[in-house]
Amino acid sequence: MATATATKSNGPPPTSFDNLQRTKILLLGQRGSGKTSIQQVLFNDVPPKQTFYLEPTSRAVKHRYDTVIPLEIWDCPGNTSPDTLGASLADFSSIIFVIDIQDSYQQPVARMLDFFAAAYQENPGATLEVFVHKAESLAEDYKIENFRHIQQRVIDELFDASPEYEQMPVNFHLTSVYDHSIREAFSRVLHKLIDSLPYLEDLLNVFCSNSQASKAFLFDVKSRLYVATDESPVDTGMHNLCCDYVRTLSAFGPLYMSASVNADSRSFYPSAAVSLAQGTTLTYHLITPQLALLAMLHPGVFEERRGLLEYNVVFFREGVQEIALVERDARSGNL
Amino acid sequence: MKKKVLLMGASGSGKTSMRSLIFSNNPASLTSRLGATIDVEQNHVRFLGDLILNLWDCGGQDSFMDSYLSTQRSTIFQHVWVLIYVFEVGARDAAKDAEYYRDCLDALQKYSPDAAVFLLVHKMDLVVGEKSAVLERRTRELQAESGSVAVTVFGTSIYDETLYKAWSHIVHTIIPNAAVLSKHLTTFARACSATEAILFERTTFLVIATSSSPDGPDGFDLSAARYERTSELIKALKHSCTRMREEFHALEMELPEFTAVLDGMTKNTYVLLIVHDPTIETAALKINIRLARPKFEELQSDSVLA
Ligand SMILES: Nc1nc2c(ncn2[C@@H]2O[C@H](COP(=O)(O)OP(=O)(O)OP(=O)(O)O)[C@@H](O)[C@H]2O)c(=O)[nH]1
Ligand SMILES: Nc1nc2c(ncn2[C@@H]2O[C@H](COP(=O)(O)OP(=O)(O)OP(=O)(O)O)[C@@H](O)[C@H]2O)c(=O)[nH]1
Ligand SMILES: [Mg+2]
Ligand SMILES: [Mg+2]
Repeated sequence: MATATATKSNGPPPTSFDNLQRTKILLLGQRGSGKTSIQQVLFNDVPPKQTFYLEPTSRAVKHRYDTVIPLEIWDCPGNTSPDTLGASLADFSSIIFVIDIQDSYQQPVARMLDFFAAAYQENPGATLEVFVHKAESLAEDYKIENFRHIQQRVIDELFDASPEYEQMPVNFHLTSVYDHSIREAFSRVLHKLIDSLPYLEDLLNVFCSNSQASKAFLFDVKSRLYVATDESPVDTGMHNLCCDYVRTLSAFGPLYMSASVNADSRSFYPSAAVSLAQGTTLTYHLITPQLALLAMLHPGVFEERRGLLEYNVVFFREGVQEIALVERDARSGNL
Repeated sequence: MKKKVLLMGASGSGKTSMRSLIFSNNPASLTSRLGATIDVEQNHVRFLGDLILNLWDCGGQDSFMDSYLSTQRSTIFQHVWVLIYVFEVGARDAAKDAEYYRDCLDALQKYSPDAAVFLLVHKMDLVVGEKSAVLERRTRELQAESGSVAVTVFGTSIYDETLYKAWSHIVHTIIPNAAVLSKHLTTFARACSATEAILFERTTFLVIATSSSPDGPDGFDLSAARYERTSELIKALKHSCTRMREEFHALEMELPEFTAVLDGMTKNTYVLLIVHDPTIETAALKINIRLARPKFEELQSDSVLA
């Protein structure tokens, strides 16, 4: 990975990721395919309906976002080509190409392949992602059919262009800003960029087995992306519920916060639990200022073994904080 | 005890949409699929204990309106507790709207002179520019059109909490002895060292009673929109539970600024306790709620029978 942009800071250790080497993600796609919408809905809390009023993007805009790793997301105009990008494709860890599911895809697919081929030459390690976007606008059958069609077409054209591209790792996602599919897809993109993912997953697995949790996610609270989960499969319904839950909690806090009452929040980690009728408790524990642990627990564990649960959370938190420190040191060049 | 609520207004103004949001827990995004209501759709909604809301969703197309005002006049307008009249904020034919509204008001005066009248200026989300100015102007106009009849006007939209604010206010006026419930809620809040206690109806999540006035308890400076925002948020969370074929049961939170417990109070209600005292634990609050349940079941049936 190129380290040209990393600057080493002297003095006190940085409290944020400023001046650290950021993982870069490139957002590409035809004009109006939904790139800016995706960026704004995920990272700027814009309600999906409001994306209707977004202006077309006229030059590449770099957005910084700090989660478990520091990100820099490049939102590009529709007509960007590898030559007008203004950066080497080798700088990007991930390239996302957004295709409007309702568009004719001949042109976008051709442009996408140009980009992917160029990126593959310069940086074979980059992950290549296709978001077949605005999926909610089509009926279920039709949506799946179009998705398969686009996928097949890309694979065929890659093979026709050069047999060597057969190995090119292109991933496909069906997305929409109107539901949580965009969060699930972007989470999966993010996972491939987190070097410490296996350690986070280990911590989650240990937490699950010690707390008898059937599922656990580590969520980035603001974007509601999950940065890691335990080894059990992700159920889309459960994922959606977790996204809504995090949103509810974030919105609830300010409602009953009193401007005239001061709270000492320095050493306080918020937590919450929602109990469901069919015998599950969904717990929430803030782990770092950005990250929260969500777990599905047996209510018996939650009601009767609270101490054990809290102990496991503390242990988990220490693990995550340690990983975050290592990550930061690596990026500031201290390692 | 059944209480008749008339829901009227021009076709497409959003009557069935709001009904499906509040009473059927459907998301706003699905309302665009609703067809026009044919004649009157009657609904019985069991509210508190024995209180049943008998909701008449009156299709607003001209032919139906004309028949409500002529042949069906007495059937429609008698025994009405509450008339809710919905005006689309950007209505194309405001003059016709106004005329039908005045005719309905006349009929109501004749058959149910004691009915309360609520006017909803709806689809406020579509207003570009200063919403409060638009609402103020419409309120003045509607009050003028209502002549001597006392009306309460709300600006609403199915896309935010304003709908809950209006409907909470409306059902609050229908519940007999709501004041008694509030009084006991205040006592209960004090016993729990809670800043505030709020009672919600279970399916609609409309606010039935609160321990303090909307300005908030003394010494606290809380958001004025907190009740309706809570209804909206919990309703949305309930909906995502349903989508997972799960059912929402209870919620507890320990945030830096306050502790909150939301749990079932009676068969028909939920209570939300907000506590700013950091020494109070959620477990204690949950026990208090459990202990208060029988008392509130009793109160609730009293308040309905009274
Ligand atoms: N139906 C639907 N519309 C979407 C979705 N995402 C974005 N849009 C709409 O697509 C239109 C274009 O969105 P933008 O985000 O501006 O597209 P862009 O790719 O940034 O466009 P340029 O900057 O001009 O290249 C807007 O009207 C969005 O509301 C989606 O998931 N579903
Ligand atoms: N923008 C916006 N649209 C709304 C709102 N409420 C309802 N609508 C839309 O208005 C349309 C008509 O809604 P309905 O609820 O069917 O109207 P109605 O008053 O029941 O009409 P009739 O049954 O013919 O009398 C639907 O497409 C809704 O999605 C709102 O608050 N804002
Ligand atoms: Mg754009
Ligand atoms: Mg209708």
